[in-house]
Amino acid sequence: MRKRRIGYAVCLLMAACLYFFENNAGTRVVLFCAALIPFFPGLRPAFFSPDESADGKVQDRWTVRSFIRQEPEEPGDIRPYVPGDPVRRIHWKLSAKKGELLVRGLEILPESAGEEEPAFSPADRQKKKTVRLPVAVILAGILLCGMLLLLIPEAGRGAQALCNRLFSASESVNTYAYRYFHVPEHQSTLLASGLLLCIAGLLTALAVMLRSRLPALGIMAACALFQIYFGLAFPAWVNILLCGLFAVRMLRQPASRRNIAAFCTLLLVSSLLTALFLPGVDAATEAASENVRDRLARITEQIAGTVQETPDAETETRRIHTRSLESGTLEAETEQEFRLVTVEEEQISRPRWVNWMKVILLLFLAVALLTLPFAPFLLLNARKKKAQEIRNVFRSPDVREAVQAIFRQVILWLETTNHGAGNLLYRDWAGTLPGNLPENYADRFIRCAADYEESVYSDHDMTEEQRRNALALLEETKTAMWKTASRKQRFSLKYWMCLYE
Amino acid sequence: MHPQLETVLREAEKVIAGKRDVIRKILMALLAEGHILLDDVPGVGKTTLAVALSRAVGLSFRRVQFTPDVLPSDLTGFSMVDQATGEFVYRPGVLNGTNLLLGDEINRASSKTQSALLEAMEERQVTVDGKTYRMESPFLVIATENSVGTTGTQFLPYAQMDRFLVRLSLGYPDYEAQMTMLRERQDANPVESVQKVLEKEELIAMQRSVRAVTAKDTILDYITRLTMASRAHEAVEVGISPRGALFLDRMAKAKAFLDGRDYVTGSDVQAVFTDVCAHRVLLKNDTDGLSVGQVLDELLKKTGNPDRRGLFPGIKKK
Repeated sequence: MRKRRIGYAVCLLMAACLYFFENNAGTRVVLFCAALIPFFPGLRPAFFSPDESADGKVQDRWTVRSFIRQEPEEPGDIRPYVPGDPVRRIHWKLSAKKGELLVRGLEILPESAGEEEPAFSPADRQKKKTVRLPVAVILAGILLCGMLLLLIPEAGRGAQALCNRLFSASESVNTYAYRYFHVPEHQSTLLASGLLLCIAGLLTALAVMLRSRLPALGIMAACALFQIYFGLAFPAWVNILLCGLFAVRMLRQPASRRNIAAFCTLLLVSSLLTALFLPGVDAATEAASENVRDRLARITEQIAGTVQETPDAETETRRIHTRSLESGTLEAETEQEFRLVTVEEEQISRPRWVNWMKVILLLFLAVALLTLPFAPFLLLNARKKKAQEIRNVFRSPDVREAVQAIFRQVILWLETTNHGAGNLLYRDWAGTLPGNLPENYADRFIRCAADYEESVYSDHDMTEEQRRNALALLEETKTAMWKTASRKQRFSLKYWMCLYE
Repeated sequence: MHPQLETVLREAEKVIAGKRDVIRKILMALLAEGHILLDDVPGVGKTTLAVALSRAVGLSFRRVQFTPDVLPSDLTGFSMVDQATGEFVYRPGVLNGTNLLLGDEINRASSKTQSALLEAMEERQVTVDGKTYRMESPFLVIATENSVGTTGTQFLPYAQMDRFLVRLSLGYPDYEAQMTMLRERQDANPVESVQKVLEKEELIAMQRSVRAVTAKDTILDYITRLTMASRAHEAVEVGISPRGALFLDRMAKAKAFLDGRDYVTGSDVQAVFTDVCAHRVLLKNDTDGLSVGQVLDELLKKTGNPDRRGLFPGIKKK
């Protein structure tokens, strides 16, 4: 949990740095996409939701944790040692007393296990061994590719040519001057790019395979820092892939096929859009996208009819103004050139405060773009917290309060799944309940509604049994309603109302 | 339901079958120390019911058949000269020493008689020749109004209607109930078989505990919103008075007590709302056939109920 948060923070920091230091618009878009990834509902990477507990049951984890934190010395936490338990979990003092090895329990508290080294059961160890072999193969593959790249002169030259291309691309977006490699004019880069792609693919596989998420994070961070430090501008799609690699690792494990498919589609679409409309500095991509944009423009022109022209009087004054500039190289003879000139002229004649305004606007935009993606994040978290607070009330020592909260939760469930009865009193809701509910549900509902009324309208002390009844009703409602809820309702229950974990 | 009142109810049901709801409401009014206006056709068992109730609770019962000739002094009593001593002696009227008074066809009484009765109802005392006489406690008036044959009668003015706690209607019995009644009355009058199951003092104690029933602020707020909404309704000329609100509260408390609770819920208020308020609402002339009942139903539907109040902050209401 904590690791994931740190990972996310590092990623965002990098994104922020890139955002400010990078001129490449494509990269910015990618970073923006990366920042949005956690909010893609189908993926729901586990940035802020804890893992499912060990027995696979989805439950009120926060509650369990906070409950345990309040009473850390509960005797139930201690259990006998079984082979496979980490040695440092052994409670030496208690073991000495009892004459047998005792460990502090883990199974109730899967979260705490994440913060330290996870305790591997024998089955886990087996798994780890089987994982090791492919990892070795992949590492060997990476080494081999690297050796080939260094040893084959043809490949080395190709790589240098690639670097030259990268330099020239970068020079167009920053003020650095790079020392180019000396390579023949028409050096083939086929072998070198093949090998490099191999290395990249193997690295990706390694990052995906490894248990830890750190390699993916490391690769991502290294690439980003490399780009920032040397002022190199990787093509936008490279950055997209990097972000994607990172994000795949951040998916809730094990990631379902559907999740990965949805994510890959998102990645593909965003990289395509980036390549087409914000091409960055990759010359080939830029040419291609220029072509596409031209075609699009022509199509829209055809659809819209004639091109709108500037009014005559204005054109005339501009023409005169342009001539008086005597720039020499730029003659406003054709309409095409005239446009070029007006841009140039604008840059010359624009007052300084406009520049300042632009800077302020850009700053504002940057801040807005960097904060906006977090707005839903913060909102969701706030809602989750609120929902959690309400759930905590369920266990509060004040039974009256608890019964109220639980019954209101039932009502909220019914309302969210469109089975509410509006302004009717709650006890009358029993008449409008849907048919899919278990037998005698209405009777239990009425009984709990009476308990609720007692809790709201009187000062009586309530019994634990009433709390249990209400909780049972809530569980029943949850199961029945969740089964029949539509996708939209489920989404609302899970993310907006935060009623369902 | 309250166990003792349950037995009272069962006793009353011996004589009039199938009218459980109305009897419950009458009991509530008795508990809430209010008076009842019965709007009924003749011969549905008003007197029988009143007699049975008074027997079951051990109340003294009297009945007045109002005609234009009945005078205020018939009700309140009067002073007359004792021939032997030559002093004025107070002769008690119908109201004195009566717990349960059935005033039949109150709309046929002259207006001054009506006023005398209503004064007594409100103040629970009568004053004759400057001397004040307290009435028996408990004191419940069941006044009836015939909805047919009303020629030459004095309808109760709105201001006096307001003093009745509830307006009820017994209505005709259904087939089953009427068959039972006929069968039972073949050889004996079942009123004779009604047992006394509740002492008068016990009833007074109950009335006291009805006053002590908890009505939380959410309920009072609900009552206030309901009555204020009635005054603001577009089809309503005169809405529910503050006294109406007070009576609504008392009646809801009585309902809660009868159900064996010591706190008022929103359903109590809703259950008694129409009975308590129907005769207090005066509609405008051009209401397109809208009835008072419909208006009150609309008010109940539109006024946010107290169950809904106080949802957790931050959770949107739908």
